Amino acid sequence: MDSNIAIEARHASKIYELKGKEKKDEGVKFYALKDLNFKVEKGEVVGILGTNGSGKSTMSIILAGICDPDEGEMIVNGSQALIAINTGLNQQLTGMENIELKGALLGLSKRRIDKIKQGVIDFAEIGDFLYQPVKKYSSGMKSRLGFSINLCLDPEIMIVDEALSVGDKGFAAKCLKKMKELRDEGKTIIFISHNLKQVRDFCDTAMWIEGGILREYGDIDEVCDRYAEYVDYYNGLSGKEKKKERDRKFAKRIIKNSKRSFFDKLFAAIKTR
Amino acid sequence: MFEACKFVLKENFNNLFRIYSIAKYQVLADMRDSKLGLFWNFANPVIQCLTYWFVFGLVFDRRDVDGITYIWWMLGGMVCWFFISPCITDGCNAVFKRINIITKMKFPVSVLPATVIFSKLFDHFCLMIILTVLFAFGGYYPSWHWLGLVYYCFCAIVFTISLSMTTSVLNMLARDTRKLVLACMRLLLYMTPILWDIKRLPHVLQRIMLTNPVYYIVEGYRDCFFYHKGFMYYKYSMVTFWVITFVLFVFGSTMMYKFKAKFVDFI
Repeated sequence: MDSNIAIEARHASKIYELKGKEKKDEGVKFYALKDLNFKVEKGEVVGILGTNGSGKSTMSIILAGICDPDEGEMIVNGSQALIAINTGLNQQLTGMENIELKGALLGLSKRRIDKIKQGVIDFAEIGDFLYQPVKKYSSGMKSRLGFSINLCLDPEIMIVDEALSVGDKGFAAKCLKKMKELRDEGKTIIFISHNLKQVRDFCDTAMWIEGGILREYGDIDEVCDRYAEYVDYYNGLSGKEKKKERDRKFAKRIIKNSKRSFFDKLFAAIKTR
Repeated sequence: MFEACKFVLKENFNNLFRIYSIAKYQVLADMRDSKLGLFWNFANPVIQCLTYWFVFGLVFDRRDVDGITYIWWMLGGMVCWFFISPCITDGCNAVFKRINIITKMKFPVSVLPATVIFSKLFDHFCLMIILTVLFAFGGYYPSWHWLGLVYYCFCAIVFTISLSMTTSVLNMLARDTRKLVLACMRLLLYMTPILWDIKRLPHVLQRIMLTNPVYYIVEGYRDCFFYHKGFMYYKYSMVTFWVITFVLFVFGSTMMYKFKAKFVDFI
């Protein structure tokens, strides 16, 4: 594989199973992502766009290596990290202890944690709340803390999923500034956001996923323009037409299939390797 | 299969600091949950011991076992059960409990059973301290025989980790596993000669009972406290224990390895 390529998807698909309305109904398989093919170069900053439920978050967990695609493959070249804000924070522990815990959860060594600790504290700006249990934090403070720990990691590929939509504007701006620094250092960043302005401002290229299918991948402005157009078009539709549009997209993604039992799941998983 | 074992062992040993931190903060968070904190780590087993002693020692008026007063004999086995039992029940839930972590970040799932067992180990140490004090009242003082406890404690850790490896993955596939395990725990307590003496059984059943891995550990603890017969006296149990543990470990780590990237789908 070309060493300039950070991420390559080859016919990658992710399938979820949907339960029927009634228990006896047949379950159906549902393409969360269908036949993705793309290459992301090293140092590229990609914005991922798409309406709700189009598979962006599924994409982010596959990219982060949390789950494998069911069909095809997704090759990630380098260490990757998904910026997950509130995960791993324990309500009972203080902010300080949470920094250590989350650092350890992310697999940092003790020395590394001691090193980044000050940076995290400075970045989070939570002051004396550092020594309070996290359950006393406001939701904004929690996100600040979680986000700061993540930003102090040093992965080659960073995946940011809607992370900037929390916290106040000032903090979002600060995060964006920090991420721009990382971008200028030549890191590959996958940026998932609904905020078109932020995406335009921050990314080089954009990927538009709609209904689990890669609609467009290319220059940021072109894709953003067309995405905005689509959103306007969709919002302009009447309620009935909207439903029709949704059903059309949904129908494309399902595959009829009988429901699998516990043992089928077990054997299928064992067979795949 | 061996690839899977190698993978799981490697993942566990490479992440020792991660295991330590998770276990440490788990213990800390549990303590912060209640006002009295550490007190409960001591009080809970003491109250349970008193209950069993009241029922079996006073009400049923059990005779001495092998010349040891029933209460001491029972405590010697119970201390080990108080470690194994929560390890098995919580170990089963090890992966499921951390679902918000494993679905949100890249995480070595196979270390989770170990984190649960090591957080329970802290409680075990607390209990051992109480026990040492109590035994002094009964006239059993620490001696170099007690060093054997380190080996048997190690056995308990390896056994419960191996078992949790299996049950925690099965629990992800079907949450019924935990219900089954919880239901079987009481059964296991009474099936294992912890509260009663094995010599009350007919000879054939005794032989079968010796293959019970939990019994090997319980009897080992008692050997260190009272009998001082040494490791080799239990060689039959020892062989079956390690065979069972090995099989569980291989099976558990194979499951872990197969499912490591699929847990997200099982929520």
